[in-house]
Formats: sequence, C-alpha cells, structure tokens
Amino acid sequence: MSDSTIQHHEESRDVTFRVHRFNPQVDSKPYFDDYTIRLEKGITVLRAINYIKEHVDSSLTFRAFCQAGICGSCAMRINGMSKLACTTQVWDELDKAREPGVIKVEPLRNLPHIKDLVVEMDPLVGKMQKYSNWVDSKMPEEQWGKKEFLVSEEEFLAYDKATDCILCASCVSECTILRAHKEYVSPAVLLKSYRMNVDSRDSIHDQRLAGLVQDHGVWDCTHCYRCQETCVKNIPIMDAIHGIREDAIERRGTKDTSGARHAEAFMEDIEKKGKLVEATLPIRTNGLAWTLKNLLPMAFKMVMKRRTPPPPPLVKASKGIDALRKEFKEMTSHVGKDHEKKSGE
Amino acid sequence: MKPFDIVIVGGGGAGLYAAMEAMKTNPGLNIAVLSKIYPNRSHTSAAQGGANAALANKAKDDTVEMHIFDTIKGSDYLADQDAVEVLCSEAPKIIRELDNMGTPWSRMDDKTIAQRPFGGAGRPRCCYCADKTGHTILQTLYEQCLRKGVIFFNEYFALDLSVDGSRSRGLVAMNIKTGKIEAFPAKTVIFATGGYAKMYWNRSSNAAGNTGDGQAITYRAGIPLKDMEFVQFHPTGLRKSGLLVTEGARGEGGYLTNALGERFMKRYAPEKMELGPRDLVSRSLETEILEGRGFDSPAGKYLHLDLRHLGADIIKSRLPQIREMCMYFEGVDPIDDPVPVRPTAHYSMGGIDTDNLGRTVMQGVYAAGECGCVSVHGANRLGGNSLLDILVFGRIAGRAAAEECGKFNPTSIPEGELAEKELELRSFMQPKGHYERYGALREELGHTLGMNVGIFREASKIKQGITDIERLKERFQHVRVFDTGDIYNTNLLQVLELKNMLDLAETVAAGALVREESRGSHTRTDFPTRDDEKWHKHTVYTMEGGHPKIGYKPVTMGRYELQERTY
Ligand SMILES: Cc1cc2nc3c(=O)[nH]c(=O)nc-3n(C[C@H](O)[C@H](O)[C@H](O)COP(=O)(O)OP(=O)(O)OC[C@H]3O[C@@H](n4cnc5c(N)ncnc54)[C@H](O)[C@@H]3O)c2cc1C
Ligand code: SF4
Ligand code: SF4
Ligand code: FES
Repeated sequence: MSDSTIQHHEESRDVTFRVHRFNPQVDSKPYFDDYTIRLEKGITVLRAINYIKEHVDSSLTFRAFCQAGICGSCAMRINGMSKLACTTQVWDELDKAREPGVIKVEPLRNLPHIKDLVVEMDPLVGKMQKYSNWVDSKMPEEQWGKKEFLVSEEEFLAYDKATDCILCASCVSECTILRAHKEYVSPAVLLKSYRMNVDSRDSIHDQRLAGLVQDHGVWDCTHCYRCQETCVKNIPIMDAIHGIREDAIERRGTKDTSGARHAEAFMEDIEKKGKLVEATLPIRTNGLAWTLKNLLPMAFKMVMKRRTPPPPPLVKASKGIDALRKEFKEMTSHVGKDHEKKSGE
Repeated sequence: MKPFDIVIVGGGGAGLYAAMEAMKTNPGLNIAVLSKIYPNRSHTSAAQGGANAALANKAKDDTVEMHIFDTIKGSDYLADQDAVEVLCSEAPKIIRELDNMGTPWSRMDDKTIAQRPFGGAGRPRCCYCADKTGHTILQTLYEQCLRKGVIFFNEYFALDLSVDGSRSRGLVAMNIKTGKIEAFPAKTVIFATGGYAKMYWNRSSNAAGNTGDGQAITYRAGIPLKDMEFVQFHPTGLRKSGLLVTEGARGEGGYLTNALGERFMKRYAPEKMELGPRDLVSRSLETEILEGRGFDSPAGKYLHLDLRHLGADIIKSRLPQIREMCMYFEGVDPIDDPVPVRPTAHYSMGGIDTDNLGRTVMQGVYAAGECGCVSVHGANRLGGNSLLDILVFGRIAGRAAAEECGKFNPTSIPEGELAEKELELRSFMQPKGHYERYGALREELGHTLGMNVGIFREASKIKQGITDIERLKERFQHVRVFDTGDIYNTNLLQVLELKNMLDLAETVAAGALVREESRGSHTRTDFPTRDDEKWHKHTVYTMEGGHPKIGYKPVTMGRYELQERTY
C-alpha cells in the first residue's frame, strides 16, 4: 500500500488566524483574537474558521452556507481583500500574509456591522428595490406560462455573464465611493440594473435608467475598477457601468452629466470604449481616428492623474472634427489651470 | 405581531413560488416569507443541471406522457401516479412562466429554451441555464418577489408550530439578528425548508443548513413524515467536503481507481466501466472502500478519480469548473494529481406527508419542495425533477393556502409559549459539569449514518446506527452553547439544527430497518430484491414518546403497472 502512505505525507503546519471580534452587546470596541491551529494543506479558510468554531471558540460568528462558492454567504476580508472564505485556500493566503504564518480575517466594509464577521445585508436589498432590479415583463402576468419569449443567442449573451452574480457583496466592500457615500447605488446593483436593462423581455428600461442617473447613481462611480478586480465570479462589472453610461448618453443626452465628476467619467468612457464616441457623436470623417489617437490618451492621462476637467463640452462637437479638436484644446488648458490651483493648495 | 393569512417558512424555490402565487391568487392577503438565510442564498442555488419539462423544443417527439413514465419508472414505482401526472403536465407551463418573468434560460438556434439529456430520461428535456440553473431560477424568483413587495423576514429561524388541538395557530421563530423570540400568528403556514441530507454531514453535497428543520418541526407537532429512508447518494463527492464532482468528469473519460491502482469498475460494470448508472457506481465505490481497497486519510477513506491521462489541454478546456472545484476545495489540481472522492448523500426523497395540494393532516399547515413528500420521486428521484417539484408544488401550495385561508378563523399565539421557548433555549447556555460539543456530535452522527444507514444497509448495521443515534440523543442533553449572547448566535442555531437532524435521523434509520427489500436508493444487502407484495407502500412516521412510530400508506397507482426497473 505504498501509494496510500504517500497520501499521508500532506504538508501540514501551524497557522494563526487573527480574527476581528466585536459583539455590540458586550464589547465597547472591536478587537482581534488570535487562534493558532494545525492545518493540513488543501484546506479552505472557511473550513479553518469552522474548525475554530467547533473546537476552540464556539462564539466566533460568521455566515456560511453552501461551502461551495455559490450562495454568497461567506464573503469576508481575508488579508485585507474581500473574498469568499469557502473558495480561498489557506496555503495561498499564507503566501500573501504580511506577518509570516498569520492570516487576518475581518468583516466586509461599507455595510453596517452586526457581530464579528457578520454585516447587515438589508441596505443592499433596499438598493436592489430602489433601482428595480427585476425584469418587469413585457408580457402581462395573466398570460404567463402560455408561450415562451424568443430570445436570440446575442440577446442572451448580453446578460448571461451578469447573471453569475451571487450578491456576496465583496465588490460592495471594496468600492471606493461607498466608503464616502453610503447611499451610492453600489457596483453589484449597477451590474444587476444593467442586466435588467439589456434584457429584451423587460419593459421598464427607461424608468430604470432615469433612476440610475440621479444623485448617488451611475455617474458617481470613479472608475477605480476595484469592484471588477474584486469580483469573486470574475464578472466584468465595468462593462456594465460603461454600458449604462453609454445608454444614458445615447437616450438622455448629456443633461444628467453635469458636474466635474461626471466629466471625468465621461472622458474615460470614451477612452475605454471608442464606440461611444461613434455612437454619440455623429462624426463620420477621417479625422476621427486622428482625434481619438491624439487626444484621448491625453484625456485618459488627466483622469489617471486625478485632474478635474470642466463639464464635458464634447457633445457640442458633433458638428465636426474641428469643433471637437477645439473643445479638447480648451479643455486641456482648463485642466492646466485647475492643476495649478490645486497644487497651490 | 399582527396576524398573517399565510406565513411561508423558507425562501428557496418552493417558498418563493408559493409567495408569488399566493399574492397573485389574492393580492389582499397578508403574507410573510421567513427564512433563516437571505432567500437568494438558499440551496436551490446549488442545482446546476436543470429542470425537466416536455417542451419538445429539442426532441420534437417528446411528450408529457413520456416524462410521466420516466418519472414513475425512476421512482422504482413508489411515486404516486396522480401526483406525477400533475408534476409533468404542469412542467412546460412553469418553465415558460419562469421565462416570462426573466429567468435567463440558455437558448437554441431557433431562440427557444434549450434542453439537454439527463439521466433516466428518454428524451433531452432538461431545461438549463449553463451550469447555474438553480442559481438563476432562485435569483429570478427573489427579484420578482421584491417587485411584488412580498414581506420578508430575513434571518429568522423557525422554532416551533403553535398547535391548538387539530389546527395550527402559527409559528414561533427567532429573529437571528436580535435573538428575540417572536410569534407569527397565522391562519396558514407553508413549510418550504428544503432537504435533510446534511445529516450525513461531511458525506453530503448539501449546504450546512439543509438540516430538515421544517420536517422536524412538523414531526414534533404531530404531523406525519413519509418515506424518510430514501436518501439519494451521488458517486463522486470530494473527500473533505462531500461537494459534488459532476458526472462530466467521468463522461470525458476519467478513471476511478483504488489504492492498488486498479480501475475497479471492471469488477462491477465491465462494459460500461466508469459510465455505469449512478446508483451502481455509488455502490461500487462503497464496496471498494468497505473491502479495504480505499485510501486512508484523517478526513476519511476515499478513492481516486484520475483525470491526468486526459492531459492538461482537455482538462482546461472541457472541465474548467471541475478543475477549479478540486483546487478550491481539495487543494488538488487534477492535471497533476488524482482527485480524492467518495459517494456523498445528495437528496432526500422523504419529507412531510402531503396531499396533491400540499396539505398536511393538520388544518392550516402545508408543505412543498424538498421538505415535502407528495410523493413524486418515490424511492429515487430523477435528475432535473427536483427543481421542477419545488416550482410546481410550491405554486400549488401557495394557491391552495391563499384559497383556503379565508375559511379559517384568525388565531393568536399564547405569550406563555414564547416564554417557555426562551427558557428552553437559555438552558443550553447553562454551565454544565460535564458537557458535550455540538461539533463532535454532528460529525459522529454523519459518520454513523454513512457507515450504517448509507448506501449499503443490513439489519445488524442499521441496528448499530439506531443505537448510535439514541446515544447521541442522550449526549445531546449535555450539549453546551458557549455563546451566551442574543445577537446573531450561530452557536445556538447550530445546536438547534443538530437537534432537528437527530430527530430525523431516527426516522431514516427506523424506516431503513423495517423496509426489508431493495428499492431505488434503499439497498438492503440482506434483502437484495424489490418486494412488491410486501413493500409496495409508503412508510409513514409519527412521533410517539420522542421516537418514531411507523405506519403505512398505499401507493396511488394509475396508468402504469409495476415493472422491473432496468435500464
Ligand atoms: C449540489 C446539488 C445539485 C443539485 N442539482 C439539481 C439539478 O440539477 N436539478 C434538480 O432538479 N435538482 C437538483 N438538486 C436538488 C434541488 O436543488 C433541491 O432539491 C431544491 O433546490 C430544494 O428547494 P427547496 O425550495 O425545497 O429548498 P431550499 O432551496 O433548500 O430552501 C430552503 C429554505 O428554507 C429556509 N429554512 C430552512 N430551515 C429554516 C428554519 N428553521 N427557519 C427559517 N427558514 C428555514 C432556508 O433559509 C431556505 O430559504 C441539487 C441539489 C444539490 C445539493
Ligand atoms: S469602479 Fe465605481 S462601482 Fe466599482 S469600486 Fe470603483 S467607484 Fe465603486
Ligand atoms: S458582482 Fe461579483 S463581487 Fe459583487 S456581489 Fe456579485 S458576485 Fe459578489
Ligand atoms: S458558503 Fe456559500 S459562497 Fe461560501
């Protein structure tokens, strides 16, 4: 049975879990508890903290259910990053640990704290409701069940990836805007809104869109990409955010896009998605390629350096390439001035 | 709390469909859905394969008739044929209804809902959304309930039915976030709390909370359970977690090997080898382990699913999800190493005994979904029929409750019941001289069930299992809850779930012992054949003096005569 003995020699070692503790009923402020346990290679963080709960400290509190990365219950911050405990290997986290052999475990951010690693999910559900995160069917309810909608592959693919979202709130926890503004729509809710708005069976597209462009809506996003980098299902959340913005400008023009914050995002949209320019600005001249090549990278650099350009005058440029060029020149000079002002502070 | 017309316990597919249908039937009703986890986290989300319906989109000659026959045959003739007829004839309608409300079904070239072949089905009739079918159905239903303004009590744990003679007064539940015990007086209560296969613990593909709470609550309240001995095992669960490695891995050509390096399926299915039927493969793996040809590890005995010979390219391109799972949950990359597997408890055919409208024997109490037993799955459920079951019978129960609650008088729950419950729960927290940890009991329960009331059963082993369960029940009296706080006390909840599992485990074992035959998922080595003369009947359990008393119920027959089940 040499084969089976080989199996015994799995690597094992002591690992310390430094866990955020706080029970509002008894604690005046949060603290960390260290639990050191001996683990076998191949174990997930969830199984490790489950072990701690069963054998060391039964009061340690966290959510977990499916243990298979599908229910979204067990999201928490592990070594500072929001992710699912049940799909995270302890050995991988050991490589990332700041202090050798110590894995830090904390609750998600940007949602009210309840106890230890548990946060309140109701605000997220509230936002799903606020932004009508459901298909409001084109078919009257009395007729449901009689015949299926015909949906093409292309129509299906438009929302397919977005329906992977398990509402784990990892992206919510990492969102930069949410840290400052709790009312902000949230990346997962933007994703879901997008998913509904591109569904050919839905009937309230315009109404949903009108909600999304209000304060705390889609224009507040800073395009920091944190949500997308975090997503536990590798969903391209930014495509959804770009998609909503593109749609908003196409259908509603720029009336929603006042304010410098919006401009910044708008410009980045153009950089990321050349087609937005095509779609929104009826420029069909050879000069467009030149414009994109020469001006947009500059605009992008401005964004990256966090300079704040004035509200976007771009759409006025629809008359022609020269106007666009002029607007951009004007804009860059503004930015220069803005920048001087800022650095003087 | 103001009295409700309908309280639905459970926010999985069954509970949410019931809520929607009840609101549709009578929008004026006061309806609440209570769930111990956020509804979108329910175990319905774990179903990957799909839901069956004879839409005839893929195979134009498919019919509801054929679906009915496949289901009855699959059940090893223990399903009630009138119920199966309801299930299968409602199926196309319910799948279309889900489409009409936004479920992202995968599509075929002609833009209709796609269908794939599934085990035990004569035609490709399993409707799916990639490998996330249950997840997307659950999301859609949750979204629609939010649209309709269904009132949710999220993270509320159902504790007890309040019973007044032969009728229910409503539900007693704990608000998990505050620890407060609250009364939900209601004319009707629908249980939709899912399955009980988690009692096999580390040998189960189920979520941690599939502990059969609804079955245990109703059972203690005097409502009969049915066919509890029928638990379905899946051949390839991961060793450490019991999580599923889907059949695709063997479909692509994976080998099953033992500690001697043999492809042992040559002994059991020399022609089909690894691709034999699910129950046969499960039994083969189990035999290898029992006869000492498995590998040993701290996490239990296991065998190998070897994919290495397929090569990195095939594994990466055709089995990416399986590879990911093996790496996440077992820390093994199948490109480099064989995957440790063993059979895993997967689905509970038994449940709360109901009629075809989801009604139990107690006035005002209904059940639907995996926690109910109508019965449409009999001794063995077909893949893709369970999602269908929860949708069809969830809807039927919702409608029935909405139509009937008008006939019942409003109720209230005596204050004393809450205080009593509070005291009972507090008693778990008392310091005890000698105490037990729930974690150990839970693991031992899973272990004895797996060993003695698992895939292979025989009188002496089952008796051992029953003795073990009785001992565990005694030891349970000494379980101590160390978290003495009110807020989000998962320590207490897991202890209550363990209590539910212990009560139900007793029924599973008792049923397994009396049923002296082999039928569907129930395999008795001492009674290896199906015995229709003695055992073509349902087992029914009522609680007496804390233990199950077994009775029987006839199977409703119909068009299809008893036949031998061969594939
Ligand atoms: C890995 C896996 C794959 C599967 N694949 C398929 C498939 O491809 N096709 C198929 O047809 N079937 C499949 N099944 C089976 C199917 O998924 C389940 O039978 C079905 O989803 C059960 O649905 P339900 O609504 O009855 O219960 P669940 O979805 O389990 O929901 C139960 C609900 O009850 C609530 N609840 C439980 N106890 C309490 C309590 N004490 N208090 C308050 N609330 C409570 C929970 O919070 C939850 O909301 C699969 C099962 C598994 C495990
Ligand atoms: S890109 Fe937008 S939504 Fe995503 S994390 Fe940054 S601010 Fe939040
Ligand atoms: S978008 Fe991704 S990270 Fe955010 S909730 Fe959904 S699955 Fe989680
Ligand atoms: S426990 Fe369900 S996602 Fe981790």
